[in-house]
Amino acid sequence: MLEIHNLHVSVEGQEILKGIDLVIQPGEVHAMMGPNGSGKSTLANVISGREGYEVTAGTIRYRGQDLLAMDPEDRAREGIFLAFQYPVEIPGVNNLYFLKAAVNAVRKHRGEPEMDAMDFWELIQERMALVKMDEAFLKRPVNEGFSGGEKKRNEIFQMAVLEPRFAVLDETDSGLDIDALKIVADGVNTLRSPERGFLVITHYQRLLNYIVPDYVHVLMNGRIVRSGGKELALELESQGYTWYEKEPGQAPRVSV
Amino acid sequence: MTAAVLVPQDHYRQDFERFTAGLKESAGLALRRTALERFLALGVPSSRWESWRFTDVSTLAKTRFSRAGDAPVDPARLPPPLGDTGQRLVFVNGRYSPGLSRVESLPKGVIVSSLEEALRTHPAVVEAYLGRLPGLEDHPFTALNTAFWEDGAFVYLPRGAMLEVPLQLVFFASGEQTVNYPRNLIVAEEASQATIVEDYRGMGAYLSCPVTEIDAADGAVLEHHRIQEEDPRAWHLSGLRLRQGRDSQATLYLLSSSGLLVRTDVVARLDGEGADCTLNGLTLVADGQLGDQHIRVEHTKPHGTSRQLFKGVLAGKSRTVFDGMIQVHQNASKTDASQSNRNLLLSRRALANSNPRLEILTDDVKCSHGSTIGFLDPDALFYLRTRGIGATQARALLVYAFANDIIEHIRLRPLRERLEGLLAERLYTEERQRS
Repeated sequence: MLEIHNLHVSVEGQEILKGIDLVIQPGEVHAMMGPNGSGKSTLANVISGREGYEVTAGTIRYRGQDLLAMDPEDRAREGIFLAFQYPVEIPGVNNLYFLKAAVNAVRKHRGEPEMDAMDFWELIQERMALVKMDEAFLKRPVNEGFSGGEKKRNEIFQMAVLEPRFAVLDETDSGLDIDALKIVADGVNTLRSPERGFLVITHYQRLLNYIVPDYVHVLMNGRIVRSGGKELALELESQGYTWYEKEPGQAPRVSV
Repeated sequence: MTAAVLVPQDHYRQDFERFTAGLKESAGLALRRTALERFLALGVPSSRWESWRFTDVSTLAKTRFSRAGDAPVDPARLPPPLGDTGQRLVFVNGRYSPGLSRVESLPKGVIVSSLEEALRTHPAVVEAYLGRLPGLEDHPFTALNTAFWEDGAFVYLPRGAMLEVPLQLVFFASGEQTVNYPRNLIVAEEASQATIVEDYRGMGAYLSCPVTEIDAADGAVLEHHRIQEEDPRAWHLSGLRLRQGRDSQATLYLLSSSGLLVRTDVVARLDGEGADCTLNGLTLVADGQLGDQHIRVEHTKPHGTSRQLFKGVLAGKSRTVFDGMIQVHQNASKTDASQSNRNLLLSRRALANSNPRLEILTDDVKCSHGSTIGFLDPDALFYLRTRGIGATQARALLVYAFANDIIEHIRLRPLRERLEGLLAERLYTEERQRS
């Protein structure tokens, strides 16, 4: 569903991604691991369409379409979701209103009528339970005054409501205590399905104990230096990233 | 300080003689004459006059405005009533229009009438307060109003009176190069309560020069709103004086959504221990417009609380000016005062001038002030778009949230809903113009 080919991306003239090849099929969970500054978040931002990232070479195709030609809102309407590393606070816009606007924007795009209030409320109730969110959250402005953990849970909650086809989780685990981590992982695992793809970006292996990936990639200095199965994450945990830094030539580049 | 443009003194003097000769009531003539001399001495401010530095009104000195005459008004153009019941006084070009007004029975002792009538029926009360509240002494347009006012609303709440149904005061202006001077006097005696809305609208290139004076005695509770939806070609230069007694509570909303040049000068004097004042303002300015708010809060007694939140939303090539002063007098210890001014620029050609000021003459106070000027948060816009919300809708959502922060606290539901509608319509129009 997502095919990244030879992707080169620069930010303010500096090349961050130096040729990424990655294919993700429906139903697959891919983990992208790597040290800080390796380009993980850049990849997430380019997929979701944030401004300020210049694609100097390469392509991203999503369900047969040229993803890079689409506006961020159209990507979302076509089923792409980004769980932000740093969710943004939006004062004055309450969560419920925001979610309704988002759900209806997606429905409109699909040629469906707006969701009626009862159905919407039922959906919200059900998905809130999934991430153990309190109803009071709905009336609060989006992310405003939320703790770090609450913000991350809110991202997963939004994902559960919007039911994307393909979701990118950008360091959703960072800053979470173990209980919050489990809640987030439970949310993601519930949403795993044969139609849905995930790209889970993380610095640490511990999230992958709970969200068990099908594939693991190691990103270093803008390149995928190694790809493998879930056991690769464990190997990284014991050896650290420095091993790859020392012997970049030994790491085979694998497209899966 | 007085860097003023000379006004054609003879023009004003002659006009004043003609005007006062036609007055039914000679009471208050001395006050009018003093005010005229005050205005002539002050003149029309030039941009060298500190408090008018960013708001150039010097062309007013050259324009020969004529006092507006009677004009027919299509009732559909008036602001809608606040409900099925409740007192509603309508003034057209500063004169009372009984035919458009709705007068109902009032609680015992409460008076709601035209000021001109009150000057005849209750001269003692009117003369005790009219033009006697402190503040705005160097505001030429307040002096001009005092000299030339024809009518306005008079509200008297005796001790302990409660006006349960909100009172609406409508001011409609019309004409080309006409001027009108509504004058309102609100006297709230001890422990009385009322909710009042001043509603300004009009059609034409007129100048509205209203002045409202409010005296809230000990323990009085007032919610006062001033809504300005002037014609996009109109000028509005208004003054508002508020004096508060011990443990009184005043909540003031100042909303301006339209007008070529709209300036409001407010002086609130917290003149009794424990007085509590909330001032909230929202100014929306469209391309080519200027909105100016000069707010002065004076704490003269201990334990007073004041809260100011003023917001501006600027579209196109527009400007706002905010000048807010918190003044804490020497014996006003334990004062708790805050002031915040936040401006949202929707265009790179918009300009906001913000000048929050503190003048504290005693220790043991809690005072804060702050001001921000900025564009829509690109991160917030992106966040909304990644959830499928289109760029246009995302912008509107953020602007609405910014401005509604003021409107949503209005307790008077019909007014709140009306203003929410107005805001949504404005955003829609602006987004359409952008695209």
